[in-house]
Amino acid sequence: MAPLKSLEQEYPILDSNFQSFCASHDIFSVEDLLLHDLYVLAAFAEQESSSERLKQGIAQVLSIIDGQHQPWLNGIELLEDAQRNKHVLSTGCEGIDLLLHGGLRVGQLTELVGPSSSGKTQVCLLAASNVAKKHIGSVVYLDTGNSFSPQRVTQFICQHSDPAIDQAKHRTLQKVMNNISCKSVFDIFTMFDVLHQLEFNLRSQMQGGDCKVQLLIVDSVSSMVTPILGGSGSQGIHSWHALMISAGYLLKKLAHEHNIAVLDPTLRIRLKASDLKNGFRNKKGKNQKKGRKIV
Amino acid sequence: MEAKGWISGDESAKEMLGRVLSRARPFLLLPPLHRVPLRPRNVLEIVGPSPSAKTHLLIQAALTCVLPVDWNGVHYGGFDGFAIFIDLDCRFDIFRFSHLLKLRLASGSVSEIDREQNNNTIKRSSIAYDEELYTLCMRRFSYVRCYDSFEFLATLKTLHYRIQKEKAYGNCVHMLLIDSIGAFHWIDRASTCLPLRGSNRKSHSVQTVLETVVQEIRKLLLLHPMLAIATKATLFGNRAMNEAKCRNLRKPDTSYSQIGGITALQLPYREYMPSAWQTFVTHRILLRPSDDHLAVSDDQNHSVYFSEWLLPSLSFLDKFIVKEAGVFLVA
Repeated sequence: MAPLKSLEQEYPILDSNFQSFCASHDIFSVEDLLLHDLYVLAAFAEQESSSERLKQGIAQVLSIIDGQHQPWLNGIELLEDAQRNKHVLSTGCEGIDLLLHGGLRVGQLTELVGPSSSGKTQVCLLAASNVAKKHIGSVVYLDTGNSFSPQRVTQFICQHSDPAIDQAKHRTLQKVMNNISCKSVFDIFTMFDVLHQLEFNLRSQMQGGDCKVQLLIVDSVSSMVTPILGGSGSQGIHSWHALMISAGYLLKKLAHEHNIAVLDPTLRIRLKASDLKNGFRNKKGKNQKKGRKIV
Repeated sequence: MEAKGWISGDESAKEMLGRVLSRARPFLLLPPLHRVPLRPRNVLEIVGPSPSAKTHLLIQAALTCVLPVDWNGVHYGGFDGFAIFIDLDCRFDIFRFSHLLKLRLASGSVSEIDREQNNNTIKRSSIAYDEELYTLCMRRFSYVRCYDSFEFLATLKTLHYRIQKEKAYGNCVHMLLIDSIGAFHWIDRASTCLPLRGSNRKSHSVQTVLETVVQEIRKLLLLHPMLAIATKATLFGNRAMNEAKCRNLRKPDTSYSQIGGITALQLPYREYMPSAWQTFVTHRILLRPSDDHLAVSDDQNHSVYFSEWLLPSLSFLDKFIVKEAGVFLVA
């Protein structure tokens, strides 16, 4: 959030007089203004000599703040946006599609939970190959554990095609593989960097065509966060929690604003007998009517 | 003369009661929130681990808010007003909301829908509902997402003007719903250690953010009387407490009063919100999933949830399930 000084160019009413008035109340940026009571500030402005101008300045800042949050939508607008943009991407596996009521939902983050070697990465590779093959859109695969295998993806793609026509198959294979971009990230800060870059690219990109990103697979967020868990006592756990939540929000924002389905396989470690019951319940949860495991 | 006027008073108690009661009728919400009457300017906190149907209760409250009392001869029993939904969790499913609304419109009351659902007479695609009323109700639902606490504060600061705009059109806002008030708690807590220039400058910490949030909501409730409902996810359960309760639940002769006795002594979860928020809340209800499952039909297995009022402290538990048509109490 900008310091008040830098806003002066665009909004001349926030001049040096206004800035020194705010500084006398320890307000130096828009951020500080959010934490202050604006009515109290207006009451203080009353007592100043240039009260009218100061109050106009406060009103101007309020309208700047109004542009800082997401837009208000009513139910009809939300529904229209969901129906137009937030369709379902099939994962390529009928059983999983059935559990997910059609497939991966665009605009949401779907988490695949399970112990190690339960096929989570395989499902991700299958979903990636399916989305790229059906030319629904391009896929971005963030790989933390070197688990991306182009050979396996090729196998998935060539499964259903006619083995006779070789050259055409090779060309389609090239095109499909071009739709999947894989990046290796080994720590959470690189991941944040890559995601912010992706967000910037998406915002400045022209809409349309096959090259629009439809699926983002992060394999997996949890494996990048666990090394930080062993930090200094309670501080380590808090920063771990904050990083996880921030990553979650960034992914949710990308999913919703840019109409992407996000898939995240997560390792569930069983610690105790009571946790075992919880883990079991989570798996069962997928069978319930409302059971999409959304983070 | 002045002193005499001061002694004789402005109005009698009967007049005052008539004036206050006509404006502030208690909200009677659907179960399991029906035990305690809620008035405008009350702040209800729905606490529970994830998942425990908290957002579902919010959706149900929003539906009751936007529906009219009567329409074309059918009694819906709603509050005929606007509902404002601030989504900090960013998990809201508009399709679910729309589907629930259509089901409510198709048959006037919730119990009727349940009966018809059980008889499988209503298929998902062929629900007959009043299109005009549906559009009206959907328009009365205002939604905004916030991805961090700055956006949340910005939304709260400008909410007053938005509500005033709606009032200018003759619509009154009855409910403010916040999904997951503790959503940014850990992020804000982790960013507390940033040093700032200036000695008295308010740092962006959990305390100051929450205090500002409480201040803004309090001002909003003063200016526009409405009911505020916020959900809160409990993060780390009090493990010893949970284990003791589990052991008691497994005993065959457990009575409700025994469970009520245990929870009355201590909070069954660890409270992490600052005291500014805790003192602001006027009502609190705790939800948690139980280990039981209710088999409604062959292919549907619903898990049963417990709901317990902590503030005011009622000594019994309600059991409810979540079906396609909404929340239903289990005897």
